[in-house]
Amino acid sequence: MPPRAKASQTDIVFAALANPTRRDILDMLLGGERTVLALAERFEMARPSVSEHLKVLRDCGLVVEHKRGRFRHYRVNPEPLQEISAWLSPHERYWRERLTALGEVLDDINEQGDTPP
Amino acid sequence: MTETADPRVIEIDQFYPHPPRRVWQALTTPELIARWLMEPSGFKPVVGTRFSFRGQPMPSADFSGEIACEVIDVVDGEQLTISWADAHSDKPAAWIVSWTLHPEGAGTRVILRHSGFDPDDAVQQRSRTIMGNGWARIADQLGEVLGS
Repeated sequence: MPPRAKASQTDIVFAALANPTRRDILDMLLGGERTVLALAERFEMARPSVSEHLKVLRDCGLVVEHKRGRFRHYRVNPEPLQEISAWLSPHERYWRERLTALGEVLDDINEQGDTPP
Repeated sequence: MTETADPRVIEIDQFYPHPPRRVWQALTTPELIARWLMEPSGFKPVVGTRFSFRGQPMPSADFSGEIACEVIDVVDGEQLTISWADAHSDKPAAWIVSWTLHPEGAGTRVILRHSGFDPDDAVQQRSRTIMGNGWARIADQLGEVLGS
């Protein structure tokens, strides 16, 4: 395979998940949304370090933040994981693509109307 | 997305705004099969027919590009079942692929079922295992993949 010119969204998500602390943060957020403070206490880390990890997770879309009152809350956004799921499950992706192609053929032969009833 | 609990099966359903008769035609006519799946060699919708497909190799799915098949069962206009094995794999998987057509309004719902995944085969099973256990383990496994 030729090298890719540019990192895809999947590459960026993989890179974000390559760090064990970020995976632990995601794991904790799966239990419900948290503030930076709560995360910092749980991981016995300085807040800026947690914020740095959260920024990486946010930039690739795995985590979303929203401000409520004085605090920013973070939660998991599962969408980028769907691409990974497609990568992990080549057979399923294969059949989805083929079934989509079948639909196109059906539309085609319908337009041509060349089939006896 | 249709997900079955059985890790040995992929099941996908798809609705088409076309009558079952036309879907059946696209499923069982070699020239039409070639347009949405791969070009079959020797296919007839008759039980016991051995045929093959030649397609693009797909390394991520451990697929050589040539598939040896046999028509296992035909229920005219309703269901086609074939066996499916990589012709050049050193450990051929005993896969069964079936298409089942259900009339739905003026259209057809097609259930594709690809069964026979080996629960002990890591490549075949990785996504299922991981998905079943939640995101934390997805992350762990990805970490391993990236680290190896």
